[in-house]
Amino acid sequence: MTRPGGLRAWGFAIILVAVLAFPAAFGRYPVKLLQEILIWGIYAMSLDLLMGYAGMVSFGHSAFFGVGGYAAALALTGPGGALGGPLGALLLPAAAGALAALVVGFFSIRVSGVYFIMLTLAFSQMFYAYAFQTAWLGAEDGITGVPRPALLGVPTGEGWAFHVYVVAITALAALFLWRVVRSPFGHVLAGIHENEERMTAVGYPVRRYKLLGFVLAGTLAGLAGSLYAQFSGSITPDAFFWTTSGEALLMVIIGGTGTLGGAVLGAAAFILLQSLVSTYTERWMLILGVTFVLFVLFAPGGIVGALRGRIGLRA
Amino acid sequence: MPFLPDFLGQALNGLAYGALLFLLSVGLTLIFGMLDIVNLAHGSFYMLGAYAGLATLAVTGNFWLAALAAPIAVGLIGALVERGLLRPLYRRSPLDQVLLTFGLIYLFEDLVKWGWGGRIRSISPPEVFSGRVSFGRVTLPSYRLFVIAFCLVVALVLWLVIEKTRLGAVIRAGVYDAEMAAGLGIDTGRVFTFVFAFGAALGGLSGVIAGPIQSAYPSMGVSILIPALIVVVVGGLGSLKGSFVGSLIIGQAETFGKVWLPGVSMLMIYVVMALIVVLRPQGLFGRPLR
Amino acid sequence: MDQLTRRTFLRGAVIGGGTVASSTVGPWVLRARAQGGPVKIGLVLPYTGVYAELGNSITQAMELVFARENWTVAGRKIEMIKEDDEMKPPVGVRKTEKLIDSDKVDILTGPVHSGILMGMRDKVHNSKTILIVSNAGADAISRERCSKWIFRTSFSNWQPCQPMGGWVAKNVAKEVFLIAPNYQAGKDMMGAFQETFTPAGGKVVAEDYPKLGETDYAPYLTKIRQSGAKAVFAFFSGTDAVNFVKQYDGFGLKEGIRLTGAGFLTEPDVLPAQGKAALGTLTGHFYTPQLDNPVNVRFVKEFREKFGGKTPDGFACQGYDTAEVIVRALKAVNGNTQDKDKLVAAIAATEFDSPRGRFRFDPKTHNVIQPFIYIREVREVAGGLNNVPIDKVADVRDPGTGCTLPA
Repeated sequence: MTRPGGLRAWGFAIILVAVLAFPAAFGRYPVKLLQEILIWGIYAMSLDLLMGYAGMVSFGHSAFFGVGGYAAALALTGPGGALGGPLGALLLPAAAGALAALVVGFFSIRVSGVYFIMLTLAFSQMFYAYAFQTAWLGAEDGITGVPRPALLGVPTGEGWAFHVYVVAITALAALFLWRVVRSPFGHVLAGIHENEERMTAVGYPVRRYKLLGFVLAGTLAGLAGSLYAQFSGSITPDAFFWTTSGEALLMVIIGGTGTLGGAVLGAAAFILLQSLVSTYTERWMLILGVTFVLFVLFAPGGIVGALRGRIGLRA
Repeated sequence: MPFLPDFLGQALNGLAYGALLFLLSVGLTLIFGMLDIVNLAHGSFYMLGAYAGLATLAVTGNFWLAALAAPIAVGLIGALVERGLLRPLYRRSPLDQVLLTFGLIYLFEDLVKWGWGGRIRSISPPEVFSGRVSFGRVTLPSYRLFVIAFCLVVALVLWLVIEKTRLGAVIRAGVYDAEMAAGLGIDTGRVFTFVFAFGAALGGLSGVIAGPIQSAYPSMGVSILIPALIVVVVGGLGSLKGSFVGSLIIGQAETFGKVWLPGVSMLMIYVVMALIVVLRPQGLFGRPLR
Repeated sequence: MDQLTRRTFLRGAVIGGGTVASSTVGPWVLRARAQGGPVKIGLVLPYTGVYAELGNSITQAMELVFARENWTVAGRKIEMIKEDDEMKPPVGVRKTEKLIDSDKVDILTGPVHSGILMGMRDKVHNSKTILIVSNAGADAISRERCSKWIFRTSFSNWQPCQPMGGWVAKNVAKEVFLIAPNYQAGKDMMGAFQETFTPAGGKVVAEDYPKLGETDYAPYLTKIRQSGAKAVFAFFSGTDAVNFVKQYDGFGLKEGIRLTGAGFLTEPDVLPAQGKAALGTLTGHFYTPQLDNPVNVRFVKEFREKFGGKTPDGFACQGYDTAEVIVRALKAVNGNTQDKDKLVAAIAATEFDSPRGRFRFDPKTHNVIQPFIYIREVREVAGGLNNVPIDKVADVRDPGTGCTLPA
C-alpha cells in the first residue's frame, strides 16, 4: 500500500512544481489560462465531491460559486480596505459559500435524483434573479474593479505573487478534498451513494452526512468563486446562471467523475476548448457538445478513466 | 378605475400564458413519466420546432402547414435521439441520460446557428387570427384566444389517449413500473421510442405555436427550459394533470406578479416552486417520493 | 514567439509580407521593423448568438474604411484581430487579456455588452491600452469611471433618450407611460428621458420595468391600455424589442397610444423580425441609413456593394467612425504608436464628417458629441421597412458628471 501511495505523492509534487514554474517558461496569456483552469478546477473538484463521491448530482452549484465571488467582491472593494486581506479574500467567501450551501442543502437533500437536480437548479436561479435585480450587488453589471488582496504583507497584484497564491490555494483545496474522500466521513458518503437505505438501516444519520458533504462542497465552490473574482477583477450575475453549474458538470464528466484530479483535467479541456478553439472556428459549441455526448456515451470514466484503461493505472 | 374588468383581462392574459406553458411542459412531463429522464434538451426541441416552422413557412407561406410539419420533423429527431443516443444508456444511472441531454443543448443550438445564423426571427400569426377581440374594456389578440382553445383541445386529446386507449394503458403501465410492463409482454423499447418522439413533437409544436407571440433565435431553448421545468416540478413529475394545473397556476402567478409586484416579478415563479416543493416535495399530482 | 497564437501568426505572415526575411539583416532593420510592422487592432465583439449581427455590422464597416486605405496607413499595415466575446463578461474579459497581453494590440475596440465594458475597464486603464468603445453605452464610462485611455464613438445610454423627452412632450403627448427592462441601463434611460420631459410640461402616468428577457408582455400591455396614457416611451433591444413591439401591435395599442422609444427599439437587427408591427414607431437615435448627407449617401452605397446589398445600421456607423478615427489619428502621428500620449491626443483631436454628421469627441469625457439625435419614424420605403428621419436635436453631449480626465 505504501508504494502506490508514495508514487502518487511524488506525482503530485512533480505536477505542483511544474505548475508553479510555468510562468518561467511561458508568456502572460498562457499563465492566465493556467490560473483560470486551476480556479475552475477547484470549482469542478468541489462538485465532484458531491457527484462522484456522495452521488448528489447538483445543477445548482453555481449558487455557491457566485456567493463566494460576490462576498469577495464586496469585501475587497469595501470601504477602507478593512477586509482587504485573507479575511475578505478567503475566509469570508468560503463562509458565505458554506452558509448558502447550508440553507440550500437543508431543503434539497430531502429529495434525491432528478428532484434534487431540479431543486438545486431552482435555488441557483433564485440567486441569479436576486443578484440581477439588486442595486447594491451592482444589478446586471455586477461588481467591477475588484482588487487583488495583500496576503502576509505581500500584495498579490500581478506576476509571481498571484500565481503562487492561486497554485497554493488549488493545491491545498485538492489535498483537503483528497483527505476528505479518504476519511471515515468520505467512506460513509460513498456508502450512502451506493446504498442509502442500508446506511440508514445501519444507523447512520444519513441526512446529516449528506448535508455536511453539501456544505463542504459549497465552501470550496465559494472559495473558487472568490478566486475568480480576484482573478478577473469582477463578478457578474452570470456566475449564478444555471449554465455555470452545467459547465462544471461538463468539466467533471469530461475529466472523470469521482477522481478529483479528473475535474481539473476537465476544466483544462473546457477552458482550452472555449479559449483556443474559438479563435479558429465559430463552431466551438458544436465541438464541445459532440465531445461531451461522446464522453457520456463511450467514456463514462472521462479522461482519467480512459487513461486508466489504456495504461493500466489503478485508483 | 373599474377593478373587475381589469382583473378579468389580466386573468385572460395569465390563461393564455399558462396555455403556452402547458404545451411546452407536457412533452417534458410525458417523457419523464415514461422514461425517468429529465430531458434538458426539451428547450432545444422547442427551438427546433420554431425553426422547422420557419423553414416550412419560407417554402409554403402557410402557418397551418408549419404547425403540422414542425412536430413531425422534431418528433423524428426525437426518435433518432432516443434510439441512437439514449437507448445505450438505459442500463446506466438515469443521471447519465440527463447529462447527455445537457450536451445535446450545445449541439442543437450550434447546428441551428450554422444553418440559419444567429439573427432574431419571428413567425406571423395566421391571417384568420391576426385581429383582436374585445369584450367591454377587455381586449385580447384573437391569436391568444386561439392558443387557449388549442391547448385545451390538446389537453383533452392527450387525456383521452392516455386514459381511454390501449396505447394509453401501455404508457400508464410503463410509467407505473417499466419492468412489470415488460413482464406482461409489452414491447417497452418501442413504447419508449414512441413516447420520447411524441414528447419531442409536442415540444416542437409549442415552438411553432409560440412563434407569433415570441421571437425565435438559436439560444431560445436555454431560457425557456427553466419555466417549463418549474411547471413540471410544481405539477408533479410525470403527471399530465399536474402539468395542466401547474401551467395554469404558474401562468396566473407570473401574470399577477407582473401586475402587482413588478419589482420582484423575476423571483415570482421560483417562490411558488420553492413553496410547493417544501410543502409537498412530489409536486401537486406527482407520485409519492420513494 | 511563445505568445503568438497560430491565427495571428498566420495573419501577420500574410499581411506583413516580406518582413520575415528582412529581419535577419541587422539590428537597425529590427528597429525599423518595429516601427513599420502592422498596427494591430483588437476587436472584442459578439460573433455568435443573437447579437452577432451587431458585431458583424461594426466589423464590416471597419473593413470598408480600412480597405479604402488599402489596409495601409502612414506606411504601416493595418491588422484586425477578431475575438468573439459571446456576450459573456468572463469570456470578454479573457479575450481582452489575450489581445492585450499576447497579441500586444495597439488599439482595442468593442464591446457590445456594457457588463463586458465595465469588466474590461480596469485592465485597459491599468495597462494603458487605448480602447475605442464602439457600442456599449454604460453612462459610467463617460462619468465616474471615465479614463484617459478610453474613447467612445457610439453613444452613452443617456444620449438618445434625453432629447426625446422634450420632443415627445411637444409633438406627441403630455401623458406618457414609461417602460424598460428592469436593469440599470433601462432605468438610466427612463431618467434621461424625464430630464427634458417633465420641464416641458409632460406627466409620467405610470412606469414599469419588466425583467430582461421577458417573453410575455401581455400584463404590461393591459396596464398601459388602462393607464390613460397617450403615448409610451420604451427602451428595449434584441429579443425583448421584437417581443414587445410585436405584442404591442397584437394588443392593438398602436391605435390610440403612440409608441416612442430609444433608437435600439427599431434598429435593423430587430426590425425585420418585428415587421409591420413596428410601423409608425418614433425613436431617437444618432443615425439612420436614410440620412441625406453626401458622406452617408456614399457610405450606404459602398456598404451595400461590398456586403451583398446589406443596408448599414447604427452599429455600422459606429464601426465606420471607429475606423475613421483610427486612420486619422495614425496619420496625425505619422504611424508612431509607441508614443501613446501623443496618440491619445491625436485621437481626442480627431474631427471629420461622418455619416451621422460632424464627428468630434468631448474633451471632457472622450465620449462622442452626437451632432444630432434624429427623431425617426418606421415607414415602408423602397426595400422594406426603415427608420425615416423626421426631425432632429443638435449637439447632444453627455453631462459627464463625475468625470475628471487628467489634462
